[in-house]
Amino acid sequence: MSNATLAGPRPRGRDSPPSADSTPRRRRSGWWLLLAPILAFDVVLFLTPLGKLVGASFADNAYQRVLEDPLVLRALVNTLTISLVSTIVTVVLGYVIAMVLWRAGNVTRVILFAVVLLPFWTGILVKNFAWAVLLQDNGLVNAFLQGIGLTDAPIPLLHNRFAVIVGMVHCLLPYAVFPIFSSLTSIDDRLGLAARSLGAREGSVFRRITLPLSLPGISAAGLLVFIISTGFFITPVVMGGPGDMMIANQIDYYARQLTDFSGAAALAVILTVMVSILVAVYQRVLKAGGQHEDN
Amino acid sequence: MKTTNPQQRALALFSIPVFLFLVIPTAIVVPVALNDSRYITFPPEGISFAAVAGFFADRAWTSALTASLQSAGIAVVIGVLLGATAAIGLHGRKFPGQPAVVGLILAPMIVPTVVLALAFYQFFISVGMVGSIVPIGLAHAVIATPYVYLTTRASLAGLNPALVRSAQSLGAGALSVLRHVYLPVILPGLISGALFAFSVSIDETVMSLFMQSPGATTLPVKMFTDIQFNLTPKIAVSSALLVSVATVGLLLQVMFVLKRRSSARMLPLAVSAQT
Amino acid sequence: MTASVISAGSVPRSGRAAQGAIELRRVSKRYGDVVAVDELDLTVQPGEFVTLLGPSGSGKTTTMMMVAGFEEHTAGSVLIDGSPVDTLPPRERNLGVVFQNYALFPHMSALENVEFALRMRKVPGPERRQRASEALDRVGLGKMGDRKPRQLSGGQQQRVALARALVFKPAALLLDEPMAALDKRLREQMQEEIKTLQKSLGISVLFVTHDQDEAMAMSDRIVVMRDGKIVQSGPPEEVYNHPETDWVASFLGDTNLIPCTIVERDGEEAVVDLGGLGLAKVRDRGASGENYAVSIRPEHLKFRTRTSAGNGCAATLLSSTNLGATVRHRLMAGGHELQLRELSSDRGAGIVPDEELWVGWDADKAQLLVLES
Repeated sequence: MSNATLAGPRPRGRDSPPSADSTPRRRRSGWWLLLAPILAFDVVLFLTPLGKLVGASFADNAYQRVLEDPLVLRALVNTLTISLVSTIVTVVLGYVIAMVLWRAGNVTRVILFAVVLLPFWTGILVKNFAWAVLLQDNGLVNAFLQGIGLTDAPIPLLHNRFAVIVGMVHCLLPYAVFPIFSSLTSIDDRLGLAARSLGAREGSVFRRITLPLSLPGISAAGLLVFIISTGFFITPVVMGGPGDMMIANQIDYYARQLTDFSGAAALAVILTVMVSILVAVYQRVLKAGGQHEDN
Repeated sequence: MKTTNPQQRALALFSIPVFLFLVIPTAIVVPVALNDSRYITFPPEGISFAAVAGFFADRAWTSALTASLQSAGIAVVIGVLLGATAAIGLHGRKFPGQPAVVGLILAPMIVPTVVLALAFYQFFISVGMVGSIVPIGLAHAVIATPYVYLTTRASLAGLNPALVRSAQSLGAGALSVLRHVYLPVILPGLISGALFAFSVSIDETVMSLFMQSPGATTLPVKMFTDIQFNLTPKIAVSSALLVSVATVGLLLQVMFVLKRRSSARMLPLAVSAQT
Repeated sequence: MTASVISAGSVPRSGRAAQGAIELRRVSKRYGDVVAVDELDLTVQPGEFVTLLGPSGSGKTTTMMMVAGFEEHTAGSVLIDGSPVDTLPPRERNLGVVFQNYALFPHMSALENVEFALRMRKVPGPERRQRASEALDRVGLGKMGDRKPRQLSGGQQQRVALARALVFKPAALLLDEPMAALDKRLREQMQEEIKTLQKSLGISVLFVTHDQDEAMAMSDRIVVMRDGKIVQSGPPEEVYNHPETDWVASFLGDTNLIPCTIVERDGEEAVVDLGGLGLAKVRDRGASGENYAVSIRPEHLKFRTRTSAGNGCAATLLSSTNLGATVRHRLMAGGHELQLRELSSDRGAGIVPDEELWVGWDADKAQLLVLES
């Protein structure tokens, strides 16, 4: 930043004589002007709708009603099990990718980063459409399975829970890779050298040094992925069967099929509270991980 | 350092299917759209632009494309204005309640989109704003703004607030500080934030679905409705269009990473995955 | 020479008792076109404390990493106790390594850190713990075994790292700038402790540092490296007092370099012409080059009376600076600016009031060397 740029534009009128007391005052007023638009926008279009939603959830005994609905309970159980399985698979696969990125040279690393980011940039419906094409009865996966002689007839791979989890893991992988990758890169390379000099094989280095030291990244990744999982809406509809509906689908069902706004609102509040608790835990985990690095 | 031991080779080998798992779905989309067949298959049987022509001849799909571009336009303009001013306004300042302000700015990323969709649905009905693309664009702006705020904030990280103050003490007025000090610094962050905002809006499905109306059906909503009945070539063409947007975004982001040499920092930006 | 005080450890794979001799034969390391280490020949005798001393980029750490097995050399051979270890992975070389910043495992207690090598060698639990706590006792940390590294001070971490590197009774110890992170006082204390430990164990040490004081204080032999090559090696006093080049002389401390021409060389002595300072008898190591100079350390210059024997000349005092323990005088003599350092308690001794100032030096403290720069 050159001084010429800073000093270049000459101020006009009353602003011009810079003095010790006028500068802070001007700064303070400018600062509120800059924050005002976003605050106004978020209050009107974010807090107000959410407030109205919370208000609506307390009407008509909504909480009791939705919690006594067996479909809701089913959706809650589905949400938890599908999210849990997706999270475990995502974290394991994410760990593999993060290890490869960690060990890759600079050029390879950039290319592989792009590969990891691809699903991050691709819209959910595009991804689900592609998986539907791949998993349909005459799709590539079934052709491959028949080709290697694993099966004679197409296996139904679409419209079931397996497909939902495949679709979800594909969306979620980037979110698992980055926390794990950053915890791996914070490990001092010399720890691995020290372990080898002390007699450790590669397997022991991983089990006793790398894995325990990347635990903060694993838990951050797991939490983040689980948080995102609980909100899935499109994938269960496109890839799943009738028995795979999750809590978000149940909100949609209450709102648009039953036109039961208070019930939908109550479910939405339940989901938001669940997620907020997990987010609070997630931030604590991130903070603890950060402190660990500092020492 | 020894780079080729059996364990690392095993890791590389095991990672290949995982990388394929990431790439293949996106990679097949364009070939599927150009497939010379009435059916949706991969690998394609031949190359044809019949499906593309069919897509652009179909009023329902072209108006969906228009609606998507309109909502993205609204989201980008509002997102850039609000996100950038917020990042500049908060740059290098500490004040009581600041964490709450930052929390409010980022909160739309954390709330599940289905919850926001329901809230907006009720809200816009209650204020009588239905049947146009404007409420959808506004809703997209709500979730796009935090991205612009974050990318702008990241590009401001290297700018010393003391420098700005010294510019002011040299007599620079607020507007010229904005133009000559902040704008050059935040431009890359602004561009990548605008890109994020565009991508968030163009791919968003759930809120658009709740607020759809005959005149305001976006591309993903049209895809979502059709895909539940059949996989059609027009869905494939629509997917291919969205993939090209994604590719541009990805390439720009990779260039950004290469320039900054900080691959890890920018990525876990989003909790607000479009699910 | 296996007089190890640390309890009996695992026997090295060769079956012979570890002597701890390290030998490098024409070892080179290239990264593409860059030669990091250039045909290095180096021997560490059993029980010897050898220091690789050089500025950063001189190849000293690379050399150590090749001995440890973390870097593969591109030519030559590394031998431990006479057998080549070129193809052995680090874990089979039986060398204890202490890294810069210690590289203690942060998630393990001090005791677990020390136990690690024994665990890798499948030593049963009770014996493992006993040997590890003995090793911690030896470095004075017997009561700190439960602490995590971040709960220990820098000096304590350093001791844990030493205990960890010694507990499996390695053939030799490799130390890579182990004291760089400590403050001056602690560094001096640790230098003594390491030296005492090394003597009592009789273990060979290859030590890497860029700090010449540390090298002087600890080594049996200093190997000065520059640009991947050895420029001089020998006992600390010899390298310090009799540098072969002006670069070595300056790298090892302050010195007065006086350009000269050789009048006569005779074995270990030479007569040189110091220009304005006249003819002088100096030490000669037989190094040859284009230009020569004589190096005299500031502390070897003395204020003398004109009548005293030996080399000397008239001088004028330019300035004096009190450095605490010593005083530094800047003098002008025979057209050269010289530095003279004396103990503060001796300040002014040798200066006779009202007489011309005269500085002198002993012939065996003046070294003829090759001017490189």
